Amino acid sequence: MVAPAGRSETMTRKYTFYPGCASQGTGAHLETSLRAVLPKIGVEFQDVGDWNCCGASIGHVQGGHLPTAALSARNLSHAAEAGPQDVVTHCPACYLNTHYVNETIRGNESFKKDMNEALQAGGRSYDGALHVRHFCEVLVNDIGMDAVKANVTKPLKGLKVAGYVGCQTLRPFAGTERGGQYDTYEQPKFLDAFIEVTGAEPIRDFKFKTSCCGGAVSAISPQKTLGLIEGILKDATEKGADAICTPCALCQTNVEIYQDMVNQKFGTNYKIPVVFYTQLWALSFGMDPKKDAAMHQCLTPTDKIVAAAK
Amino acid sequence: MSAAKSTGVYLCSGCGIGEAVTMGELEKVVTKEFKKPVKSHACLCGDEGLAVIKADIEAGTVNQVVVGACSPRTMTDRFRFPATQVLRSNLREQVAWSHPAGDEDTRMMAEDNLRMSLTEAAKSTLPEPKIDGEYSSVVMVVGGGTAGLTAAHEAAQAGHEVLLVERAAKLGGNAANWSKRMPHRPPYRAIQGNDIDTLIATVTADSRVKVKTGCTVAKTSGMPGKFAVEFSDGSGATVGAIVVATGWRPYDPTKLGHLGYGVSPDVVTNVQMEGMLSGGKVARKSDGKAPGVVAFVQCAGSRDPDHLPYCSSVCCGVSIKQALQLREADPKVMTYIIYEELRTPGVAEEFYRAAQEAGVIFMKGKVKSVDKALTVVVDDALLQQEVPLAGVDLVVLATGMVPNSTNIDAPTPELDEEKLRVLHNDVNPLSPIKVAGYAGEAPAPLPAPPDTLPEGAPILNLQYRQGPHLPMLADGFADSHYICFPYETRRTGIYTCGPVRRPMDMGETAEDATGAVMKAIQAIRNAGQGVALHPRAGDLSYPMINLNQCTKCRRCTVECPFGAIDENEASYPQVNETRCRRCGTCMGACPVRTISFANYSVDMLGSMIKAVNIPDEFDEKPRILILACENDAYPALDMAGISRQQYSAFVRIIPVRCLGSVSLLLISDALSVGFDGVMLMGCKPGDDYQCHFVKGSGISRERLSKVGETLKSMQLESARVTQVEASIADSARLPKLIDAFVAELDGFGPNPFKGF
Amino acid sequence: MTSVSPTPTRKYDLSFARWVYENIDGGDRMAMCMQCGTCSGSCALNTQMDYGPRKLFMMIRAGMKDEVLTSNTIWNCVSCYNCVVRCPRKVPVAYILHDLATVAVREGYAQARTEETTKFAKAFIWSARTFGRTDERLVSVLFYFSEGISAGFKKLMAFKGIAFNFVKVGRLHIGLPHMIKKRGELKSIMAKAAEIEARHGGASGEK
Repeated sequence: MVAPAGRSETMTRKYTFYPGCASQGTGAHLETSLRAVLPKIGVEFQDVGDWNCCGASIGHVQGGHLPTAALSARNLSHAAEAGPQDVVTHCPACYLNTHYVNETIRGNESFKKDMNEALQAGGRSYDGALHVRHFCEVLVNDIGMDAVKANVTKPLKGLKVAGYVGCQTLRPFAGTERGGQYDTYEQPKFLDAFIEVTGAEPIRDFKFKTSCCGGAVSAISPQKTLGLIEGILKDATEKGADAICTPCALCQTNVEIYQDMVNQKFGTNYKIPVVFYTQLWALSFGMDPKKDAAMHQCLTPTDKIVAAAK
Repeated sequence: MSAAKSTGVYLCSGCGIGEAVTMGELEKVVTKEFKKPVKSHACLCGDEGLAVIKADIEAGTVNQVVVGACSPRTMTDRFRFPATQVLRSNLREQVAWSHPAGDEDTRMMAEDNLRMSLTEAAKSTLPEPKIDGEYSSVVMVVGGGTAGLTAAHEAAQAGHEVLLVERAAKLGGNAANWSKRMPHRPPYRAIQGNDIDTLIATVTADSRVKVKTGCTVAKTSGMPGKFAVEFSDGSGATVGAIVVATGWRPYDPTKLGHLGYGVSPDVVTNVQMEGMLSGGKVARKSDGKAPGVVAFVQCAGSRDPDHLPYCSSVCCGVSIKQALQLREADPKVMTYIIYEELRTPGVAEEFYRAAQEAGVIFMKGKVKSVDKALTVVVDDALLQQEVPLAGVDLVVLATGMVPNSTNIDAPTPELDEEKLRVLHNDVNPLSPIKVAGYAGEAPAPLPAPPDTLPEGAPILNLQYRQGPHLPMLADGFADSHYICFPYETRRTGIYTCGPVRRPMDMGETAEDATGAVMKAIQAIRNAGQGVALHPRAGDLSYPMINLNQCTKCRRCTVECPFGAIDENEASYPQVNETRCRRCGTCMGACPVRTISFANYSVDMLGSMIKAVNIPDEFDEKPRILILACENDAYPALDMAGISRQQYSAFVRIIPVRCLGSVSLLLISDALSVGFDGVMLMGCKPGDDYQCHFVKGSGISRERLSKVGETLKSMQLESARVTQVEASIADSARLPKLIDAFVAELDGFGPNPFKGF
Repeated sequence: MTSVSPTPTRKYDLSFARWVYENIDGGDRMAMCMQCGTCSGSCALNTQMDYGPRKLFMMIRAGMKDEVLTSNTIWNCVSCYNCVVRCPRKVPVAYILHDLATVAVREGYAQARTEETTKFAKAFIWSARTFGRTDERLVSVLFYFSEGISAGFKKLMAFKGIAFNFVKVGRLHIGLPHMIKKRGELKSIMAKAAEIEARHGGASGEK
């Protein structure tokens, strides 16, 4: 456990990191930009050894409840090998499953017993000693924006950005004690602060901060959820956003790749870049737009954002 | 006051009055027009200022004081001097704070206010109380259930002797039949024991409480402090005040055949269920077996125009309690509560949650029918479909409460036609007491009674001019001033509490009884000192009738909202002073101005109206008279001043005790001296009345409906006279109403009577 | 406790509701539902649902098991968790819907459905079980062809632009699937977990 204490820039904080499957696929640019900014803000990650999929929000359907939970339990048992420090993940679904299974093991003896019986079949065990945290919560509670601001050499002046938090980064744990109580469910402010620190202007009255992009249903049956995505694009555009910024890989993908389908269905003409806050940070830190910020992996033009870093 | 009246006038220039008007000009009004001594001070309510007044009183040069300063509603303790009448002229809230400083119209308004107050002083004297012989301090409590026992206990605790009268052979009322109670203590989640036996034991052991069981009241006459009561056993007593706590009875379930009552023996009421629970055995009547599935049907015969139109408020809680009791006794028992709206107000929500947690099933919907096989057909509001609920072993009908405002076991009395009419006026507040015009004709006959007489004998059998019943509001519940004085009936010194007043549970009933006893004790203590009860608490005046001029028209006896005036054998009105609330409705009713108070009369008000200087029609300075109820409208106008809201300076405001005290003669007086319009400001009348004297503002509105004819005969527009409803919260609204009325009158042009 | 949820014989037979209370993750809180509708009002996709969560819960109470388990409601949850954080009675609505979906699959109610979610889920858990990781590429292809070859090609074509772009910018890799090293270990653990779950009669053991 890392005690949230003074925010000394020289101090490096160590966490065990669970990257999740999206880091190797559609969320590769999050992974790249996140790893690029970490040393600058004094964070060191040690990855969970041989980590597996968390089951996302869909695994339980065909997999059953306990087997799906076992996916997270195995990860936790590998994380425990890395040491007692907090486990951090950036993917909301990974966080949701891993945090939930961890808390259930801590709070429910019979579940803990069943789970360890299952782990035993693979020669593993886990006692619930770890604390699983979302990286955004770590940034708010442990790191603080001063440590970020100290690195900004090329502020993104004149860039208007709609902070789109999405669902599971906040819900249902951001308001709970073990979830770190780092923001509110209905009017979160942390992402606006993440944007503001780069010198860009967050659109504070963006109405769709916490609305849903359709999640996995968008990947499966986008026709059902295009309306949800259209609402996000519409409000951001109407409020003059140059970009939409999100911490969630699935949100980024859904809001980005379905713009053509939305335009087709609603007769609109959206073409707005959707980026991760870590990409904005990397740019404002003066880092390489391609190698560090991975801007080239966005599917809508990001020239204006890159050009804003001066 | 026996000594000759010598009036001293004291003006204050503080709080902005001195900046708004020139004190010298005001002083001139007093010295030149009224030839009275006047002194001004910069802070009259301060010790120095008060010393000036006190010095004159002690020197014997002054025994009546007119204070021209702040509103009569403020600094009442400061401006109070022994054996000295104090009159107040409002120069601050209603002049300096609500009109531009230094303006000519502001000055004229201040001068007129002073003229009115000096006239009031000339026309009134310090009232002396009427105290006549001995007054009893015994509290009589009628009804020995939760309400009555609590009332008796509280009255005895306060040191009063109590006479507790119970119709049944033993004490306890409905509570004696109850197994357990709904939660009334934190955390409001668990059922609590029924502690009625403890209460009975405490009351019967108290030497100050005399209990009469198996006894009813045969007759009640007299007035607070001197009620003479006769009982069914032939005995009698004199008591000071009466608390009526006759409680409730369950709605007659034989009228609920559509819900299976009488169709199947296994359909019972919640009261019958309570009997089974307190008997320790819940069983079906048909086969004696313990039920495995029990359905509670809420609103059985309640909130139903064909049965009880109202909600009894406790049945939801009772069903939750009974369902929990069944599940506590046997967790396998399934309990359904079928409700339209579950009413668990306030902390009762906790109880509802506890029941949900304990597995009581709640179904939202209306029960359409229950048949012999106990199939309960529910129109399920949440599923939006009709659901036949089969396999039920026992159906409990949650029937409502009917107030015991009469004794249904005794025969309904024969009443003459006029008494019946009065009674139905009381029962039905939508038909306000009909009053006659003031032009001299006899009272018009009242409309035919809309309802039948409540079944059964009146509880107290009052020997009052206005009939033997306690006034009822709606659905047979005793009338009480819900907003301000919940325990008050319209018979002074008689207070209702518990479910006879409105449906309530045992916890609420105990609180209610405590409150009613507090009022009863006040009534007893004030009666002995000749002092009025609220809202004119402390007033020593009382209506005095000059019988030489009385025409026996009976308007005063009919219109008195409190039944304070009877008629003697010669048909003259006879005032029972301690019943009187000093509203002056009798004074407003009297067509020949023969009723007056020492400090309040038609003559006094008329003279104040005439004391106002009316500029002639070419000055373009209209004058509008506002007669404002002193309880709500007048303080609201004060508050308008406090918040510095401005309104026309053409108005002249006179506070009245109640709009009921406004005689139509005053309106014709005002118009004939040249006022351009008259505005009456009073409380809301009707079944949701806010009038502090219950019927006063309604009577005023009724009277005003007759004024159009008179205005027509004077060739005046009827819109020159209006009545507006004003509540104490209307300080922002009233200035707008005043300005709109002034603008409307402007359209009519000046009153042609100006200068006559 | 039976492995299969009981089928009520009449309306407001509580056998199914009780089973849900006792066997579904968070079901014990469901008894506290006061039918306010905050969940349905907060639901991102309630326009696509046969019934909103509020009504679905009422139907469970009313014993309408068939209607509940064949409804598309449980398949249209996007897991936004608005219902969970907003419920005034702290009923974990989304969790209950997820577990009901598991029950619908296990008891054969989902087979009749053409719901795409079930097929996607199948592909998804296959990837997780086989490789220990989600291979978005394989999951998608498997899902597209779950309705047959021609339907699969049609769908694949609709998404080919997107897929092509992903490959171009390196967000969809070419080559062998990502996989964990100790696949045997994972398989054993999951098999054991399934065995325990079956032993509990389908319950999660979280009681």
